[in-house]
Amino acid sequence: MKSKILAAFTAVTLVALLVAGCAAPAAEPEPTTPPPPAEATATPEPPPEPEVGTTYKIGFGPDVTGGGANLGEPQRNWAEIMRERLEESGGIMGPDGVVHEVEIIVGDSESNPDVAASLARRYVDEDEVVALIMGSVTPISLAIAEVATEAEVPYISMASSLAIISDPDTGEMRPWVFKVAQSNGDVAQWQVERLTDLGVSSVCYMYENTGYGKDCYNNSSAALTGAGMENVFEGAFERTDTEFPQVPAIEAAGCDAVVIGAIPPGAANAHLAIRTALPDIPIIHGHGVCTTDFITAGGEAVEGAEMPCSAVIIAEDIAADNPAKATWMDFKDAYEEYTGEPVSTFGGHAYDALYWVIGALETLPEGLSLAEQRAAVRDYIENNITDWPGTAGIFKLAPDDHYGLDYTSFTWFEVEGQMFVPFPQEEW
Amino acid sequence: MSKYLGTRSVRLGLTAVATVLLVAFVLLLAYENGYGPKAFAQWTMDGIRGGSIYALVGLGFVVIHSVTGVINFAQGEFVMLGAMMCASLYGLDLPLPPVLKLAVAVIASIVTVTVVGILLERGAIYPARGASVVTLIIITIGATIAIRATALIIWGTQAKIVPAFSNLQQMDHIFRPFGLTLGAQSLWIWGTVALVLGALLYFFERTILGKALRACAVNRRAAELMGISPSRMSLLAFGLAAAVGAIGGVVFGPVIRPQYDMGLAFGLKGFVAAIMAGMVSPLGAVLGGLILGVAENVGTGVTGLYGYKDVIAFVILILILLLRPQGLIGGGERGVEES
Repeated sequence: MKSKILAAFTAVTLVALLVAGCAAPAAEPEPTTPPPPAEATATPEPPPEPEVGTTYKIGFGPDVTGGGANLGEPQRNWAEIMRERLEESGGIMGPDGVVHEVEIIVGDSESNPDVAASLARRYVDEDEVVALIMGSVTPISLAIAEVATEAEVPYISMASSLAIISDPDTGEMRPWVFKVAQSNGDVAQWQVERLTDLGVSSVCYMYENTGYGKDCYNNSSAALTGAGMENVFEGAFERTDTEFPQVPAIEAAGCDAVVIGAIPPGAANAHLAIRTALPDIPIIHGHGVCTTDFITAGGEAVEGAEMPCSAVIIAEDIAADNPAKATWMDFKDAYEEYTGEPVSTFGGHAYDALYWVIGALETLPEGLSLAEQRAAVRDYIENNITDWPGTAGIFKLAPDDHYGLDYTSFTWFEVEGQMFVPFPQEEW
Repeated sequence: MSKYLGTRSVRLGLTAVATVLLVAFVLLLAYENGYGPKAFAQWTMDGIRGGSIYALVGLGFVVIHSVTGVINFAQGEFVMLGAMMCASLYGLDLPLPPVLKLAVAVIASIVTVTVVGILLERGAIYPARGASVVTLIIITIGATIAIRATALIIWGTQAKIVPAFSNLQQMDHIFRPFGLTLGAQSLWIWGTVALVLGALLYFFERTILGKALRACAVNRRAAELMGISPSRMSLLAFGLAAAVGAIGGVVFGPVIRPQYDMGLAFGLKGFVAAIMAGMVSPLGAVLGGLILGVAENVGTGVTGLYGYKDVIAFVILILILLLRPQGLIGGGERGVEES
């Protein structure tokens, strides 16, 4: 009898766990609410004052789980803040005075290109979104870029590689694809300047075995060789590695500095392993570690780590005449109030991308077909995001540049006292 | 050909030749790349540490398999649960000195994960006890997914922190014997593996309960006739395996930054270690885990193919299954009664 009760109890508990478990990934994408008949309801119903037009939908899908989770989570958080903002303001108003609701559909690309591509297709075909904002990491974004190009939907990636927006063979811009995250080429330029200043002649490179890590390595190694430094060691590692056989090899290679291309927690693991064996060697990171997760994961070991980041993470210390200060404070205050956590630059990519699209939607007159809306959003982003202060810097987009930042958008930082502290070039 | 391969001496000879060739190849590569004995010593030492977690996971596989015949793929999740629980309990704001808090966190997480193992057995394995072993294995895979998803809901995707046991900081105390780098946590890990292995061997060989477990493994029907309850033994095995997994997670917590999805990687490597033990020998599982860890570390270190760590593990898996399915040590089948 007793054992039966026990069995029943445990069964119930496990079923509850199972249900909870299964519910998790499935719950993310909002079930599509019955799509409001698109163009049909446009003109009738002239209620009191502002005319209500079509609801615009934005397909939002960062990598909330899997390898890109540390990046995707703050982006999802920002999308939730954005939803609240849109709800409060009751939508946006077009140039013709018609009010439109904006619905941000939030899903999860799961750091898996297949999942991302099918999520993108669903957004495009079933949800009929006007724009896609998806992909926190490069390989995912590449998969989505293909879908977006084929379906002719504007797509903004939140990952870093230039290969997302341009054809790697011809270097031509993909017409429908944009990105908001800083490129690894600009990171490499900073790294080279810093390493030159340190008087380094040989460099060891460690990167996470992901699209981001490889892109970091390709950019940095080209820039380093170009600057006359020798790249004496390169080694990939996995996020889950506990042991780093690369470290004895780095010791044997005898380089003057180590550069790591990774995101936390892998970046912190690799940093710790190198710092343990080589207490004095300078270690430099890319912009993938511009989040307090890096410091939490690395603790005292990452003291003295250097990296280029957007200054948004220290927004309140920035001079008031900085054109981006207002944007940064807006982002930082709202994010920290909503989540109770310090900002990372990654959430900012969602900020920039969403405001680009919303800015574009505000210029759309009522009565366009879906294809026209999509084309108009694309044209707006390409031609009107000029001198646009975003969290990642002042964007200057053009038909031949779907990214619009350069290396001046970064500030050099150092981890000091478990904080990101600016370490400007004059102090090197 | 297969006739010759079958004889014991030919097999031994082939193995010896292959080993010599492999060692020669590794040494040649090391010479080419300019790695000295110091690099080898460091790789081996790190490999032994990394292999220790495979050993502990492998032990869990062996304990459950030898009693019930089930391969419990949720074994890696026990490691994850142990590490995550320890990290979040330590992170709590308790009015305790840090040392005591860590001790409480360690013990509480091991106990909790043991309870999870017991609940898993009662809730998912026991109700399906009449089903074939394959069904039970599939159930454990389902449990793996459920546990991971639950962990995602509870802890989110962020990496957690367990401080090093010796100095309660993230940067461990480092010993530098002969110019090598050895973290104090490695000593904790090795001590734990030795203790767990010793305790398990003592339990299986010297106690009535342990002997009852083994009796169940050797011949379930006969054990039942002797008054041993196989269902109770299965419960015990799952509890034991969960505890061993949690212990592994806890001592490895400071070395890794635990994340909700780390269980799979350890589960698979631990499975390879258990296969090296023929799925029945605890000592074999520990040896297998350590050998695997060293092979991975030295292999990738010497060749420079750091991204191909897993290839080494799974090549070993295939070789063992082809050449010595009964495991590295121990002779004939001592497995479960096939019905």
